[in-house]
Amino acid sequence: MEYAIETSNLKKYFGDIHAVDGIDLKIPKGFLYGILGPNGAGKSTIIRMLSTILYPTDGEATVLGFNLRKEASEIKKRIGVCPQELVIYPRLTARENIHLIAQMHGIIKNDYKERTDDLLGRMNLLDRADSLSKTYSGGMKRRLNVLMAVIHEPELLFFDEPTAGLDPQSRRVVWDFIKEFQERESTIILTTHNMEEADDLSDELLIIDHGKIFAKGTPSELKGKLGEGDIIEFKVRDPKNRDEIIELAKSLSFVRWGKKLGKHRIVINALDGLRRISDIMDVVKVEMEDISVRTNTLEDVFIDLTGKRLRN
Amino acid sequence: MENKINRSLTLKRLWYLSIKNLKTMLRDRNQLVWLIGYPILFMVLYKVALGVDVYDFMAPALIIIGPTVVISQLAAHFAEEKELGTLQRLITTPASRSIILLSGLFSQLIVASVQIILLILASLLLGAKFDPNVNIILLFFIPFLLSFTSLGFGLLLASFVKTAGSAGGLAWFIILPLQFLGGIFAHPPIVEFLPTTLAVEALRSVMTNGIATFDAIGLNLIFVGVWGVIVIIIGILLFQRKTAIL
Repeated sequence: MEYAIETSNLKKYFGDIHAVDGIDLKIPKGFLYGILGPNGAGKSTIIRMLSTILYPTDGEATVLGFNLRKEASEIKKRIGVCPQELVIYPRLTARENIHLIAQMHGIIKNDYKERTDDLLGRMNLLDRADSLSKTYSGGMKRRLNVLMAVIHEPELLFFDEPTAGLDPQSRRVVWDFIKEFQERESTIILTTHNMEEADDLSDELLIIDHGKIFAKGTPSELKGKLGEGDIIEFKVRDPKNRDEIIELAKSLSFVRWGKKLGKHRIVINALDGLRRISDIMDVVKVEMEDISVRTNTLEDVFIDLTGKRLRN
Repeated sequence: MENKINRSLTLKRLWYLSIKNLKTMLRDRNQLVWLIGYPILFMVLYKVALGVDVYDFMAPALIIIGPTVVISQLAAHFAEEKELGTLQRLITTPASRSIILLSGLFSQLIVASVQIILLILASLLLGAKFDPNVNIILLFFIPFLLSFTSLGFGLLLASFVKTAGSAGGLAWFIILPLQFLGGIFAHPPIVEFLPTTLAVEALRSVMTNGIATFDAIGLNLIFVGVWGVIVIIIGILLFQRKTAIL
């Protein structure tokens, strides 16, 4: 199997902060690889290193077969980067912003003009293509941010939280757009803290926190690790006895595991959860402020691994 | 063959980046008004408040105000690129750091050239004394040479500041000493070897007195050039270091 990215013990330290702390990755070519983690987990730092913006503190990496430390200029010719922030020139139009990136990649004028119109049309920006981008709404700027990463049809695409702050409709447009690139067999690295995005788009996923890998696998493999049960989430009025409540719940045969979450919540994995809530309540005998039941999600995988939510 | 293609691509990138810089500058009307309006305001004030004789003597110095303002322009340009994140975005493309830097300098020099021409025309319109034998090329070249030196100061500042706003403000810590100590607002100048002092003296010799011999202005121009080369080199090294991947 050919790999688009291989890293070995990749590290990035900022003084005492270990932003990325020894990451080993093998990302096959043509995969859409999701990196899931909360804010500050190290997702963007990984992307910034692999896209040649930051120099690793330690470790080795090859991107599309080129050494990250020695052959950055070769890597730059073949990648597209959509940063988390809205990185556009406000006093250029959408068309001019996109053309500039194409020109930096040495694409022939006729080609990039045609491609630009096509891309602007697909992202519903063609009507405003010649307005200065400072006049755009946040959603339009974010879609332009994405287009600037893809105009040169790179072999490897980095999307760093591409849908952050977008409304559901615009988010769907961006997801469909990313899927199109996936079908063209580009390799895509996508960071997100949106579990739906990670679940829906990723071929494989990496879950990280504090710069370390917590789990790797396909979304269904990762969810499968939690077992077949449902997730029941309780918010307790008095958080002092949560350990005791979990132990009591675990004494029931259909409860697989339980964890504390935040300051007031308990998460329990139970077979046939919806019908068993009353049985659990009978055993634990404490006052609950809120109860919810759902099937396993990647967020629950994250809670299981780290004891906290993806979103603060 | 491959080298030839790479060279051509590099030149094209320099061209496209410079065009981008010029477009973004020209679309910032406030900056343009400031760039031309600030020196012209001083010309008008001197003429109105201090009379024709003082104005005639100070007119070359007031033209030199223009090139000093370039310091804040260039610093703000690169600080804005850092602030917007566009510098990093460009760095992920095949455009090299040197080309990005050169394009900034190149486009600022184009703007500075237009600014100098407009300021000379404004001086003419306001009735400043121009010697009948004035050397037109030197009349343009002296402020242009100082603009080059100012770019170096701008680059030094751009290495440290993070926002366009702070660049615009902090630039005055360089611009004002250059103007006040360099004989732009009052005569005689307080510090002889400042690039502004040297440029004002040379321009006065050419514009007001019509003397353009090497004895009169040669050393001044050489020293302004030396100032320029030194600050540009330090500026480039610092800027490259401060924006290097860490």
